[in-house]
Amino acid sequence: MPAAVLEQTINGLMSGSVYVLVALGMVLIYGVMHVLNFAHGVLFMLGGYVCHFFFTRVTGSYALSVLLSMGVLALVGIALERGVFRPLHGNLRNQVIASLGLILVIENLVVAVWGPNALQMKVPATEQLVPLGALRFPLQHLLVILVTFAVVAALFLFLKFSKPGTAIRAASQDRLAAMVVGIPVERIDWTTFALGTALAALGGALIGPLFLVFPLMGDAPMVKGLAGILLGGMGSVPGAVIGGLLIGVVESLSTLVLPTDYRDSVAFVVMVLILLARPQGIFGVRVRGED
Amino acid sequence: MLRVLAALLSLLPAFALAQEKVTVGIVTSLSGPMAAPGKFQMNGFRLAEEEINSAGGFALGGRKYLVDLKAYDTRANPAEGASAMQRLATVDKAPVVLGELHSGVAAAEAPIARDYGVPLVLTIPTGPGLTEQGNPFLFRVNANNDQLTQALADFVARQGWTPLAFIAWNNDAGRGGVNGMKKLLGESKIGYIGYFNVGEVDFASHVSNIRAGSARAVMLLMDEEPGSLAIRQIRDAGLKTQLIGTLAMGSDRFLKRLDADRLEGMVQYNAFPPNAAVPRIRAFSDRYRKKYGEEAHGFAAQSYDGLMLAVAAMQRAGTVTDGRKIRDALAAIEHDGVIGRIRFDSKGQAHPPVYVTQWCANGSRRILFPESLKADCGAG
Repeated sequence: MPAAVLEQTINGLMSGSVYVLVALGMVLIYGVMHVLNFAHGVLFMLGGYVCHFFFTRVTGSYALSVLLSMGVLALVGIALERGVFRPLHGNLRNQVIASLGLILVIENLVVAVWGPNALQMKVPATEQLVPLGALRFPLQHLLVILVTFAVVAALFLFLKFSKPGTAIRAASQDRLAAMVVGIPVERIDWTTFALGTALAALGGALIGPLFLVFPLMGDAPMVKGLAGILLGGMGSVPGAVIGGLLIGVVESLSTLVLPTDYRDSVAFVVMVLILLARPQGIFGVRVRGED
Repeated sequence: MLRVLAALLSLLPAFALAQEKVTVGIVTSLSGPMAAPGKFQMNGFRLAEEEINSAGGFALGGRKYLVDLKAYDTRANPAEGASAMQRLATVDKAPVVLGELHSGVAAAEAPIARDYGVPLVLTIPTGPGLTEQGNPFLFRVNANNDQLTQALADFVARQGWTPLAFIAWNNDAGRGGVNGMKKLLGESKIGYIGYFNVGEVDFASHVSNIRAGSARAVMLLMDEEPGSLAIRQIRDAGLKTQLIGTLAMGSDRFLKRLDADRLEGMVQYNAFPPNAAVPRIRAFSDRYRKKYGEEAHGFAAQSYDGLMLAVAAMQRAGTVTDGRKIRDALAAIEHDGVIGRIRFDSKGQAHPPVYVTQWCANGSRRILFPESLKADCGAG
């Protein structure tokens, strides 16, 4: 039994890490632009496809393909901010509708280009097995967790100590005040979008070799990532990290006692229970005075 | 010049008519989630069409008829299937319709076949309920899930591979398969049962539970894609449990998704072992490889037989237009196909042989069941 608990905790940390990568992007964009980008799941999926393209067609190096995929998706993010979200600035409803429309557009574009069937990415790290006591995990499995933790640490340092990071925080705390003190908020908008989509691409590129690359691969991470954000506290970056990991670990551990087809429901039941007790989420702070 | 060309062009349809073509309707998946198996189905139909037509067509009442396949893409979507079936019956006036992959889509097509009196011959869907609706216009060439699991249950019981665990699709096919095995083996022989939703790719929680439940064997009731992921995750986690798969997991195509190391020892039921030392199977496999450059597949063999059977029924009925007469001919027919002797029972279900094959260390397969065809690596 303890082995099963350990195994499920590590599995939960892995899926939780993926939720964190999606959640972080969404929460950053939400913080600065005040819009929930529902297309984040398909951008995650697009990241997986672009990484697959670079890995199989251009360079044989997986690490390089991951970075290239993040780069390409950052550009896609900038294009979306410029072309879709900026023109709709100030109209939350239309921005949400546009992000829902983007799901259809991007998903069908991917099917048109790569076809409907799942693609395989044979990366060396999926073949290497790491023994952990009586258990074994593919190296890639552990890499997902390690890379996510490293990226989260780097992101915290960036937001806390770097000038652009401070500017992002300032813009998300009070857009008008940030403008008054000379922060170019429009530049902050697209930088944040690029950062968010690059994080989504990283998620898709990390998980692709383990679980195939296919058009619907971003759906579950998007919904669970969103649950993580709500759980952690809307708009809170540390909240998105803790919330995402918590959802992943809880749903994995639940399968030890409950039928696996309840796994998804468990994640949301936990979310509802915590929000009942603490409506603002774990780290929720009402910086903008919203209700 | 233009006028001459126009005159020549106007002659073309007249030429085609002189050859007497019979439009045979096809419902299949050319795109969508079942596009990959749909290709095998189409390959089988095309091979049969080519063989019939290159021999000058089939003879009926002193005339020769060419076969002209009219294929519609139903994309694993019941609404698409229903509209394609209707169009084939009314616009294309097909006297008989063949194909389909998806049991749910076939269920939507079957009532339309009855309404218009056009026999529908299924060559791939395995949902057992389809042939239980009392629809006289529905026929199925391939073995259904109940027939397949029966063969496998006998085999599993004899091997003593119990308790038997399951990872199964959370849908009719998966739950139906689990319940079927439960009934055949008895509740006490069943271990952990885990269902997953279509699109789910992480089987880690099932692996943990199977390890904890110490099952002797795991049955994977799913398709190729989740199947390859589940096997990889089970083996990578170090579980040595016996693996049991479906007929989607016994092909060279499947081997390409994984590797011989992870597959070795796994057994699966199979409707058509392409390398078996049976003359009809060998001959078909050779012709298939020559045309398509790859290993023959059960779905192709079943579909090839379906078209040959439909042609034989038209010859027997003495008509290429009257669907009702063709239906009566199908109900009474006995046809020696590639997959074996095909004869429909009163429900329209055929009873072709079912095999159990096993993966060898070198990536080939052996036949374990039926006893009479037992053969070593390279035969499956």
